[in-house]
Amino acid sequence: MKTKSFLQFVGPSVAMMLLLLAAPLLLTFYLSVRNCAMEMEMVKIEESTPFGKKETLTQRAKLDAAGKAIQSCSFVGLDYYRKVLGLDAEAAQPGGPPEAAGTIAKGDKADNEFLGALRFTMIYTFVTLPFVLGIGFLLALGVNGVSQNLKGAFISASLLPFIITPVVAALSIKWLFRDDGLVPYLLSQVGVQVFWMAQAWSARLLIILYGIWHVVPFAFIVLYAGLQSVPQDALEAATIDGASRWQKLRYVTLPHLMPLIVFITLIHLMDAYRVFEPVMVLTQGAFTTSVQYLTYHILLQESNPYKASAAAVLTLIGIVVLLIPLLVKTYREQKRGV
Amino acid sequence: MGKRPLSLSILLYGGLVFWLVIASLPVVWTAIISFRQYLDAFSSPVKWVAPFTMENYTRLWIEKEFYRNFLNTALVTVFTVTISLTVGCLAAYALSRYRGSLGFWLLMVALMFRAIPHSSLLPSFFTLFDALGIRNTYFTLIFVLVAINQPFTIWMLRSFFINIPNELDEAALVDGCTRFQAFRRVIIPVMWPGVITTGLFSFLLAYNDFLLSSALTSGDKMTMTAAIANSISAESETLLMQGVAGAVSITIPLIILVVIFQKQIVGGLTQGAVKG
Repeated sequence: MKTKSFLQFVGPSVAMMLLLLAAPLLLTFYLSVRNCAMEMEMVKIEESTPFGKKETLTQRAKLDAAGKAIQSCSFVGLDYYRKVLGLDAEAAQPGGPPEAAGTIAKGDKADNEFLGALRFTMIYTFVTLPFVLGIGFLLALGVNGVSQNLKGAFISASLLPFIITPVVAALSIKWLFRDDGLVPYLLSQVGVQVFWMAQAWSARLLIILYGIWHVVPFAFIVLYAGLQSVPQDALEAATIDGASRWQKLRYVTLPHLMPLIVFITLIHLMDAYRVFEPVMVLTQGAFTTSVQYLTYHILLQESNPYKASAAAVLTLIGIVVLLIPLLVKTYREQKRGV
Repeated sequence: MGKRPLSLSILLYGGLVFWLVIASLPVVWTAIISFRQYLDAFSSPVKWVAPFTMENYTRLWIEKEFYRNFLNTALVTVFTVTISLTVGCLAAYALSRYRGSLGFWLLMVALMFRAIPHSSLLPSFFTLFDALGIRNTYFTLIFVLVAINQPFTIWMLRSFFINIPNELDEAALVDGCTRFQAFRRVIIPVMWPGVITTGLFSFLLAYNDFLLSSALTSGDKMTMTAAIANSISAESETLLMQGVAGAVSITIPLIILVVIFQKQIVGGLTQGAVKG
């Protein structure tokens, strides 16, 4: 195919990605080092009451001719990064950088929001991963062993946690684990009492359980497909050589599935880094946050797009670091000419 | 395979049944309590049997006009899938036939974009769309979802296009077709299975999206997932029960989808894996 017609064919797709992915990302970098605030002015308000005139002094936003509030924007450098990373503490002390500190609204406590969110995101990612792979593998082995006519129904039912709308799934789990829900009741029958959404550890555990439940079907189906192509002659040869069931699994099946395990791991790293809905639904950020939740929260609750941009840029740096192995792997495969 | 010992068989079937219960419990239990009054739905001890009522559904769909949200979701997903596939097929076809290094770099960049946490885009989206006055519109949400879907769509479609032999379109070119005619008349007809599978995943991405839909729509433009956000921290009992009914309403189309398209979904999931 000639380069000219190649460019014509990919044109619409590339234009859309440039316009709605690349450009907004660049804009994020720009926004993250800026701050805009409404210009305020002091005004004297005279009120005529039946008891005489009353004067009050109050602040209001300056308006331009069209009646819109005038914004004054300025370059604030890495201020918001410092804020999100909780390095702002020294700014409040004498001797800290005083210049730009005044432009940012005071009152936020200087805790390390981002690292807290990143820590939980990483815990979530790396705790769920072995369970996803392990349970997915066991299910794949199991389904491989049952009779043909049961497989279809089983796979259909297993797909449910994976394709269901995440926010709906998280809500369903929340209702299931409410203090007056089904699971606490069943647990109380065996003498366990947990108020799932009232403590940090159990809320986090719930998010992790959701994560495992949600991704296991994906691992299961990919590994199940892989099992169909395990070389039968190698398995037979191993049987003749007197290999046990376990040895065949360990030395024939697992090595064959290794590329798929790597594939699932990489996809899971990407998707787990984006964990959002369960954090939003199950804790509403009360005990724990994730990096994606943090940006969303700063933007919608604190209504501060500049600080949110700083959090977004830090999030992006995180994913790039996490992605390097994936990019190297794909780069090599493409160079080999797949 | 040798003969399986009985103990292993029991473990196997036991394990599979246990997983099925876990996999379906949240959905099944939500469906059960959606037909109950609040006091029967949440109680301690749990009620296994309770009077049946459709009240939550009628409240939600008629009084709360959930059908509007349903229609919004239908509109947004139909356009998102159609545009995604049209634009994606063109690009993926070119990527599967072009030998230059430009194509390779485009795929790598698309892979990077696929990994972007969507909330990172929101501050810019808010700023841009507010400045242009197009924040709460179907148009904006559709194009945002299409763009978000593009990286995934072109990767997946490309893996299907690559399996179609070059000779097919080369022959058409020799017969005097232009590139575009060869694409439309020769390639697309044999591409339907791939297009359907990719379309399914494109649909799931658009239909299941919560973050962007809830941030970019409000009022009468809200999609179903955006509308159900109200019930996340619902205090009132009726509002909560409407959320339960809403959750079930959102899930039903997905269950129908799995039943009809199970083969394609499984095929799509393994497609990327087998190709690497």
